[in-house]
Amino acid sequence: MKTLALVAMAEAVGGPAARAADRAAFEAVMRRQERLVLVTALRLLGNIEDAKDASQEVFLRLYRNLGKVERESNFQAWLYRVTVNVCHDQGRKRKRTVPLEDVPDPASAAADPHQSATGAERQRVLHMSLRALSGKERAALVLRDLEGLSTEEVARALGSSEATVRSQISKARVKMRDFVERYFRRRV
Amino acid sequence: MNCRDWEDRIALYAGGDLAAAEAQAVERHVAACAGCQSLLGGLRGSLETLRQAHGEPVDAAHYAAVRARVMGQLERGLDTRWRHAWVYAMVVAAVALTVAVWPRPPESLLAPMPPAPVAPVAQVQVQVQPAEPVAHPAPHRMRPRKLAMKSPESAEPLVVKLYTNDPNVVIYWITGSKGE
Repeated sequence: MKTLALVAMAEAVGGPAARAADRAAFEAVMRRQERLVLVTALRLLGNIEDAKDASQEVFLRLYRNLGKVERESNFQAWLYRVTVNVCHDQGRKRKRTVPLEDVPDPASAAADPHQSATGAERQRVLHMSLRALSGKERAALVLRDLEGLSTEEVARALGSSEATVRSQISKARVKMRDFVERYFRRRV
Repeated sequence: MNCRDWEDRIALYAGGDLAAAEAQAVERHVAACAGCQSLLGGLRGSLETLRQAHGEPVDAAHYAAVRARVMGQLERGLDTRWRHAWVYAMVVAAVALTVAVWPRPPESLLAPMPPAPVAPVAQVQVQVQPAEPVAHPAPHRMRPRKLAMKSPESAEPLVVKLYTNDPNVVIYWITGSKGE
């Protein structure tokens, strides 16, 4: 956060030299937070190119709001919130949700689908199941079960109440499990 | 309470999101319900697979690509801002120059006019005598005067006499009341 304050100060003071120093400091901030932003975006969007676009937008917003972010008590919560919002906007533009009814037929049939499914196939199904969730459910599940945030932290990042987040998480887990069960049942 | 009512709590239990008392209640129900055991197993399995699927690290080249794009955009954005700053500075300088060289009205028009000289007035002896009382007639009501308006028809024609260089030639221009 100290670096952020310096960047914000350089931005306020202005001048080419200050700006060059400010950009170097901002790049250092970006290096520290890039995993959080890019991985979260990838988990929310399921596609590395979309995740890179979203990350770029998140960091540009961070640069434009340096003064405001410096006053934020929880910088990471701010970053998660902006990442979720940017991914939500991007997902809404591209409409990449997969309804449960549109689950593709499995390539091959087997007596015990759970056992015979390869790791790669199961991962692919899980990715698809994430995309079948609503935006808020997906965000709650990703932040809680993949990013490892507490329910309280997820609520702060999403700007919701803890009760709402718990409801979204439980529904998302059940839907995801139903999606997987349904997929492998169709293989039989 | 049927198994549908337990579904949300079992889902929270699978991720370790229940308080101790609630977790014990779920455990007691699941121990006695085959359907909910299956649900709990499925939830745990899918969560585990999800974590494994997303546990793979992202290639460092992707991070570098994002950084390069962001920094490139900041550079372009800042250059644009500096270029605009020069444009604003030039506009301000041009306005200041225009104001400086703008022709002003002569000073005589701007200076305040001196007071006009006052001619000396000869002293006049005025003797005031008390006036005799005057009997004022009773006030009478004034009637509004009617203005005598001549009708346009009764107006005399206008005669315009134009002299030329030749003393023998004089042009008379007689116009009627309507200008015909």
